[in-house]
Amino acid sequence: MTLSQQRRFTTPEPDETLEALAARACPDLDLELAIERIRGWNLHIFLMRRPRGLLLGGDVVFIEPPLV
Amino acid sequence: MYDILIKNGLVIDGAGTKAVLSDVGIKDGKILAIGENLKDGGQQVLDAAGLVVSPGFIDPHTHFDVQLLWDGAAKPALEHGVTSIIPGNCSLSLAPLKAEDRKTLIGMFQQIEELPPAAFTDAFEWTWETFSDYRAAIEGDLSVNVAPLVGHSVIRLWVMGADAQQRAARPDEIEAMQDLLRDCLNAGAVGLSTSFVDVDENARPVPSRFAQFQELDALCAVLGEFGRMLQIVPEFYDTDITIARIDQLAELSLKHKIPTTLSPVFDNRQSPNNVPRTLARIEEQTARGARVWPQMQTRPIDISFSLLRPSLFFARLPSWVKILRLPVTERISALRDPATADKLVADVGEDGGERLMGRLIVRGGGEAPEHLVGRTLGDIAAERGEVPARALITLSLENDLEIAFLAANGGHDSTDRIGPMLANPLVHIGASDGGAHLTSFSTYGDTGYLFSEFVRKSGALTLEHAVQKITSEPAEIWGLKDRGMLKTGYAADVVIFDPSTIDRGIERPVFDMPGGGMRYVRDSIGVDTVLVNGQIAWAKGAYTNAQTGQICALA
Repeated sequence: MTLSQQRRFTTPEPDETLEALAARACPDLDLELAIERIRGWNLHIFLMRRPRGLLLGGDVVFIEPPLV
Repeated sequence: MYDILIKNGLVIDGAGTKAVLSDVGIKDGKILAIGENLKDGGQQVLDAAGLVVSPGFIDPHTHFDVQLLWDGAAKPALEHGVTSIIPGNCSLSLAPLKAEDRKTLIGMFQQIEELPPAAFTDAFEWTWETFSDYRAAIEGDLSVNVAPLVGHSVIRLWVMGADAQQRAARPDEIEAMQDLLRDCLNAGAVGLSTSFVDVDENARPVPSRFAQFQELDALCAVLGEFGRMLQIVPEFYDTDITIARIDQLAELSLKHKIPTTLSPVFDNRQSPNNVPRTLARIEEQTARGARVWPQMQTRPIDISFSLLRPSLFFARLPSWVKILRLPVTERISALRDPATADKLVADVGEDGGERLMGRLIVRGGGEAPEHLVGRTLGDIAAERGEVPARALITLSLENDLEIAFLAANGGHDSTDRIGPMLANPLVHIGASDGGAHLTSFSTYGDTGYLFSEFVRKSGALTLEHAVQKITSEPAEIWGLKDRGMLKTGYAADVVIFDPSTIDRGIERPVFDMPGGGMRYVRDSIGVDTVLVNGQIAWAKGAYTNAQTGQICALA
């Protein structure tokens, strides 16, 4: 059985900052826009978590919006 | 002659085959014979006429690690027919643990299990650091069988100390974790548990959440040497993340040839596509050969709480937890302090708790005013001109904290939807959380509820299928050797129950934890007798002195 397409994600590298992750995940975007996108696609990290935005090694970080 | 002969029962062997009227002969802790009119007689004969005779039930997701140190029966799980339990879930086990890390782990256990502090100071002596020594500490007094997981968080803590909750591990540290895990598996651990959700008493993520995927992959390589289980707690509140976790588990399962399981998975009207999408992905990955088992519990989650003690309800509100951990007189003073109360209300969010607390129902309790019972907090708050979080505090103070609230139907909320899901061959029935969340809800009786709600009431499962889902299926998934079936040579873990009445009792508070600590429990209904390794451990409403529980041998 072929795997259906699912939302793409990455996981943080050791000690990786949001800026570095955004640059790696969205290399074609301006850095500020890439950061904004990563924040918006990952509310479980950047809105729901306390402390907000704490990036953990085990995180699933989506690199695209939800699939329609 | 048999040690025990069970006569005239409706035998359900656990394999899914149709029930037959038969006798079961037991000798030296094992099933010796099954058949009609067994002739050899028994030193003790049990008449099971009109009752079902089935294998003992297996609970694959529990947190009885601490309770087992003073209660080898994991009460009241055993009286519900549960003869084998798997503790150590969610990245937390009591071993391996260095003496200097005990305080750290206690904080995490208190957060998740809601055990009173006295449970860690008065109820037992810390005699172990290694996994094998913890095993020795519980093994002699068991009435229930135990297949313990080892927690990823404690493995990190052992190797990295305080850094376990700060950073990624270095290659040498990962290698040390691999060696430690190997020691635990050699000492009988059934697998490794990890969590992507849990937090400690300060709401800081538990150590396992700081691990890179590469670290988990390295630990799974060790699981692969033994063919043992990886259990995870996924971000169950988000389907996309859950599917990402399923894909990670599938890769680990295929690469290391290990079984994996994720728990819990919930279905409710707010996210009706969650389980269908999750199961569709499981089906795809299963077709690739991956072993990924989603655990679903049978019951909805109804959290009851008051401000008398900490509760799971406040898991994401550390400022509330901090206040609720104060002694009662200090807690009342703090809640009466306007600045403290303002901060608590502010911490709930800009809506004053409307979303989180507005639908809470006043459950009652010793001092609850009758005219408030059954009403929502949002309704009462509006009437009083307060936001719900403020009303929660003021109502509690007005009633000496003796007023309880109910957050109903968390998790599942529809029997008609859940029944077919539980019957699905890809679904592993579990996630009871037995022994955890003590002051929030009862984690006992899920098996009785399976029969009453999904066999008798909705008919989603036949009696034989329901028994199979909680006996031979979990035994096979977890590799519990010679358990989970009524079969010659298998361990004589047996439940005798009335199929027309088996159920869970009403949820009620009891104060039987160390230091008089409170927990919610449910009594069993319709369970006549429970045997563990050939000895009667519970019969006719009472526990016996049998301590024949074992650390489960693994296939």
